[in-house]
Amino acid sequence: MKPMLGLAVAASLLTFGTANAEDAICYNCPPQWADWASMLKAIDENLGIKMPHDNKNSGQTLSQLLAEKEAPVADVAYYGVTFGIKAGDQGVATAYKPAGFDEIPEGLKDPDGKWFTIHYGTLGFFVNKDALGDAPVPACFADLTKPEYEGMVGYLDPSSAFVGYAGAVAVNRAMGGDLDNFDPAIAYFQELAENDPIVPKQTSYARVVSGEIPILFDYDFNAYRAKYNEDGNFEFVIPCESTVVVPYVMSLVADGPNPEKGKKVLDFIMSDEGQAIWTNAYLKPARPVALPEAVAAKFLPDSEYERAKPVDYAKMEQVQKSFGERYLSEVK
Amino acid sequence: MPHLKPSFPLLAALPLAIFTLAFLALPLVRLFAASVEGEAGFALYGEVLTNPRYLTSLWDTVLVSAAVTLAALAVSTTAALFLQRNRFLGRSLLISVLTFPMAFPGVVVGFMIILLGGRQGLINDLAKDLFSTRAVFAYSMVGLFFGYLYFSIPRVLLTVMAAAEKLNPELEEAARSLGAGPWRLLKDVILPGLAPALVASGAIAFATAMGAFGTAFTLATNIDVLPMVIYTEFTLSANIATACALSIVLGLVTWVLLLIARGLSGGAVAAAG
Amino acid sequence: MKKRPLVFSLQLFVTLFACAFLITPAIMSIAAGVTVNYFKGLESGVTLKWVGQVWELYADSIWLSLLIAVTCLIATLIIGVPAAYSLAKRPGRLSRVIEEFVSLPVAIPGLALALALLQLYGTMKGFRLSWTFILVGHVLYTLPFMIRSVLAIFAVIDLKTLEEGAATLGASQWRRFLDVALPNALPGILAGSLTVVTLSIGEFNLTWMLHTPLTKTLPVGLADSYASMRLEVASAYTLVFFVMIAPLLVAMQIAAQRAQRVGQE
Repeated sequence: MKPMLGLAVAASLLTFGTANAEDAICYNCPPQWADWASMLKAIDENLGIKMPHDNKNSGQTLSQLLAEKEAPVADVAYYGVTFGIKAGDQGVATAYKPAGFDEIPEGLKDPDGKWFTIHYGTLGFFVNKDALGDAPVPACFADLTKPEYEGMVGYLDPSSAFVGYAGAVAVNRAMGGDLDNFDPAIAYFQELAENDPIVPKQTSYARVVSGEIPILFDYDFNAYRAKYNEDGNFEFVIPCESTVVVPYVMSLVADGPNPEKGKKVLDFIMSDEGQAIWTNAYLKPARPVALPEAVAAKFLPDSEYERAKPVDYAKMEQVQKSFGERYLSEVK
Repeated sequence: MPHLKPSFPLLAALPLAIFTLAFLALPLVRLFAASVEGEAGFALYGEVLTNPRYLTSLWDTVLVSAAVTLAALAVSTTAALFLQRNRFLGRSLLISVLTFPMAFPGVVVGFMIILLGGRQGLINDLAKDLFSTRAVFAYSMVGLFFGYLYFSIPRVLLTVMAAAEKLNPELEEAARSLGAGPWRLLKDVILPGLAPALVASGAIAFATAMGAFGTAFTLATNIDVLPMVIYTEFTLSANIATACALSIVLGLVTWVLLLIARGLSGGAVAAAG
Repeated sequence: MKKRPLVFSLQLFVTLFACAFLITPAIMSIAAGVTVNYFKGLESGVTLKWVGQVWELYADSIWLSLLIAVTCLIATLIIGVPAAYSLAKRPGRLSRVIEEFVSLPVAIPGLALALALLQLYGTMKGFRLSWTFILVGHVLYTLPFMIRSVLAIFAVIDLKTLEEGAATLGASQWRRFLDVALPNALPGILAGSLTVVTLSIGEFNLTWMLHTPLTKTLPVGLADSYASMRLEVASAYTLVFFVMIAPLLVAMQIAAQRAQRVGQE
């Protein structure tokens, strides 16, 4: 009797944590980023598919997909546009056109469907006003090198996180450079280095909210989330020089374990209902779904957003590696 | 009588042999294979070993690990001698406090350091109130040093305390009666007596610091120890071959340095617990 | 023994300073875990809601960590104790080399070992997706500590004499191991066991690359929460971790003391 019981317990323990038939796996669906928590819940409620949250960043997602190429674990992946392009090129993302694919503007999707934009954000300053002390809220990239902001500025590492690279591209353009010439960005980061910046490798929403990093190069949606949902005084600032609009994309993982479920999830995300969920999290949807009025009122006025422009994302991808290496050798 | 059965001690090592072969030896071979599967092949090692960024990083890693090991040995030995030779109320509590960080993942230690030395950290607050200066050290090699020290002190302490218990008090009495002062006593009697424990625990502390990742990952900024470089190679451009090559270099360098240290110390006891 | 005031005060100072260094941020973190708003400090009130949130979000990872720690212990006992016996019976260069080789996982970054394991065994779907994959990583990392601990105790007790005595009474090799070596090595085995469990619960480097979203452990969840949740939630999670670890550490201290006393008998 006892050995049987023991065996039964052992057998059930062995299956602890393994996927059951209802699950699909997403790489990089962090609950607090872009309010994926609500999206995952909606997917569970509408499709009955349980997708656990996952806290990788774009770079880690691609690397893990490549490491697992022979035996993929994930069904879908979410990452910044340049990583999506890479994933398609390296063969870890496969072609799939979800419903509504045609409504996504050109340039924001792979023609075959290996990656496609699900929502965008605009890069700027996510500011914790309370933590600034006496210093005024900065308005321009150039302001941040001033001594009054010593030790207060943070930006994600451009060689590791996609938002870091997007920040670098934005700075570059603001300082007069373009994708062929990153000298202005390098010069800016070198100058900023004199001001003791904090350079994390992973999303640092929590650190801004706690006041450890008063000014962070981050997206409007993260800043709005803090401004309207957290206790405290937060602001989003679109830098006075200019900035970039950045799409985040998803792909169906090649040879994933549950491709049918993956496709259903992607279809839902691109559907009207799915796209509307992003708007509640202050993200601009990829398909032209109207923003509800209450949400639209919370964004900065359109006149500010005129300074935010898209970039040639394919080119951005091509030069990412060389910029990363340049940053590592010249700025550190 | 011919020995038909293998001896028990040999059999006893069989589980270890199987496990190590399957999960350590073979993966290491695979790691090496992956490192030469890239475009550069074997020449990758030449490239890696002559790249200034990697060499600086390796040097920095060795330096901070060695510094932490020495500091941990110094602090833990002093504390161990004190705790071993003085019995007082609260002694057990002190010992618990000094050993609990051993369990912490590097990420938590990183955040402990930010609490102490970050922008809103305790030290910065004190510096501002008392001296009107900024003192933010968390995001630099200094912060990393303290982070590693944080989890190294406990690891060394228990071992050294155990060894301090076994020191022969008669030797010290004899030396003292011959007129030896406290420093002489330390140098000629106590430290040599503790040597095997110091070497063994120092080796573990050094190896742990060389391979540590979580703390550096949390603190980031300006911290380019080799495990971070390996991480960057992996996530920046999925340079799997380079990441593997660097890992092997790191493992080899650590192993060689430890062998040298053991050789220098006379290679006494195999392990001192 | 005559107490020398200078030496005494120096030692006391260093000890207290080390304690302060280690415990201050821990207390700050615990305080943050039960404060309503970290930025405003304790004045904003004390609450258990963050701890409640942690349990809601991460209960799975806490249970999984416990499961893995216990199985890791069983594995290291089965693999490590006989191996340490074997090494203790045949001291020499080969034993030292083997011991160093087994200790390699402590020096090689977990990232790299995990990568190697993924490439070698990643295609075995069932294995890859199960928590046993993470278990392998934990055993790799904690085995050297078990082996060292047991080897240390074997070095201190006079194994040779004890076993010779048993041998003259006709005990076979197996019986000698079971009835003589093991009972005498118990304090070392106990100390090693507690070290293994403690290290397994806190293991991050290897687990981070080996885990899947369905097999998250406590440290991985902890890192997650520090990255993307409010500081209060992450601190509350750390608090839960402390509470789990504390009894283990106390037990470890007692066991280590018992092990020391064996050497004096």
